[in-house]
Amino acid sequence: MTQLREAYITGTGVFLPGEPVPVERMEDHLGRIAGRDSLLGRRALRWNGVETRHYALAADGRATHSNAGMCAQAVRAALEAAALEPADLSFLAAATTQGDYLVPGHAANVHGELGGGPLEIASFQSVCGSSLMAAKAAWLSVRAGEHDVAVAGASEFSSRWFQPAFYEGTALVDAKGRLRAEADYLRFTLSDGAGAVVMEPAPRPQGLSLKVEFIDLVSLADRFDPCMWAGASVEGRTDPLATWAFAGPAAAHAAGAVALLQDFELLKRVIRAWVGVYLQKVDQGRIVPGQVDHLLCHYSARSLREEIVSLLEKTAGMIPEQKWFSNLASVGNIGSASIWVMLDAFLKSGRLKPSEKVLCVVPESGRAFVGFMMLEAVG
Amino acid sequence: MSSVSDVLRQLTVVFTEFEGRLEQTPLIRKLTRGRFALADYHAFLIGLRQQVKDGALWMSRAASNVDDEHLELRSSLMRHAVTEHRDFRLLEADYVAAGGELAAIRGAEKNIGSEALSAWMFHEASKPNPFGLLGAMWIIEGLGSIKAAEWGALVRQRLDLPDHAVRFLLYHGENDVEHIKEFEEMLAMVLPDAETAARIVKSAQVTARLYALQIEEITA
Repeated sequence: MTQLREAYITGTGVFLPGEPVPVERMEDHLGRIAGRDSLLGRRALRWNGVETRHYALAADGRATHSNAGMCAQAVRAALEAAALEPADLSFLAAATTQGDYLVPGHAANVHGELGGGPLEIASFQSVCGSSLMAAKAAWLSVRAGEHDVAVAGASEFSSRWFQPAFYEGTALVDAKGRLRAEADYLRFTLSDGAGAVVMEPAPRPQGLSLKVEFIDLVSLADRFDPCMWAGASVEGRTDPLATWAFAGPAAAHAAGAVALLQDFELLKRVIRAWVGVYLQKVDQGRIVPGQVDHLLCHYSARSLREEIVSLLEKTAGMIPEQKWFSNLASVGNIGSASIWVMLDAFLKSGRLKPSEKVLCVVPESGRAFVGFMMLEAVG
Repeated sequence: MSSVSDVLRQLTVVFTEFEGRLEQTPLIRKLTRGRFALADYHAFLIGLRQQVKDGALWMSRAASNVDDEHLELRSSLMRHAVTEHRDFRLLEADYVAAGGELAAIRGAEKNIGSEALSAWMFHEASKPNPFGLLGAMWIIEGLGSIKAAEWGALVRQRLDLPDHAVRFLLYHGENDVEHIKEFEEMLAMVLPDAETAARIVKSAQVTARLYALQIEEITA
């Protein structure tokens, strides 16, 4: 059997649409349900710790980019950072929560926007964790010798799903025009943008590259119902036969089965399950907290982080606060794109030194998933 | 791998696995999926009562088997037993407040899981210095401080019951922080010691599995 090669991240790229939008102007871009300010919005923003973010919807509701278009821009930027061109690319793994089309897959549309010649592609549709699913495919394809230049890209255009038309006239809005918390919270939690990483079988000649040591992905969907979902009503979400397509699009919309929704009660249990998976990795010696120099954790709420921290300290699983890096406050939670946008900012911050280890953690509440990626700086 | 934090980490992993198993039981599925009826609540309380009633008893027996070298731990176990040994009365009162007949809950048989759980607990508690039972306590206490309040809130909401019919489940949740702290102190009385650490974790695993069996066997 041929030996597996090492694979390295040799370039990262980001695309954030438009200018940073401050807290007080966010609802201008999303639009107001029944013309009224959100009840939960400010609270959700304080909770999330987000100060500015980006939207691919202008304040007049016009779209400035497509989801696939943003991903293609990030892929171009990542290739450029690796001193490569789209023509050098031979495998594109693209991730998103909701692509521009229901069909075909996201990667096809990203390739369409990117150009650059025939490619092998793979689409990964999940929530935040789809980023690492795509990364694992890119990493393994380089390791196996199938490809010499692979890209894992991830992008989100969440804001178009947060427009008033997704909620108005549905069961999600009560007689007084108030939107259910399950829906309103997410409108102020997620925003738009894209990120990508290039993987190659050798580090770049100059500067730092990141050797990928492992990517471990764990789904706990065997035990938990959907926690963040679209395509089913709040009441009908645990019955696969009650999902949106059976009723048809108009009836599904009226039932509130099209919007993106979050179950907060279930989220608390899912958070504990994530911690359990992490601590198991620590216990098995797969992750040694004392050997991690930098931690990049994608979290959708500041409070979630505090909840995790208190338990980790008691169990010797904590990675000290000063080793955490995050740019959530300035770019917002961009779902699957977040981890690449964070990694790009981290590399540009100049904090990373050769031979240091970087642990990326991507929990996804969708249906209880968590991914870990361990990187080592070389060069 | 036998310090208090190492054992707490392994116990946390066992507990989260246990939570995942509970989540998949028919009774809890009904509760989280909004198909929980009053008859389910009655069956739930009947199922829980057996273990709650036995809890203080096996803890007392365990205390009586702790030697003179560990008097502090013996005191803790005895205090624990005293605090909890009347809890099953509260549970019975909830049952009656939720429309059940007192004689029905008092006369109910243990289900298969409760039989196995009870037998295991008393067997362990009868051994000299039964420190492994700290693992069992972690599971039972965790249920009280984490799961009970969650379940109680769901039961109250689903069945539109008054607080005084859900006191047992709701009341446990309020003692959360104090219980965990006390537990850490008890661990420190017998650790570090590799053999004891392994026994505590194993005992947590067995207790979790048998407790989940008890919940699996609850049918309305």
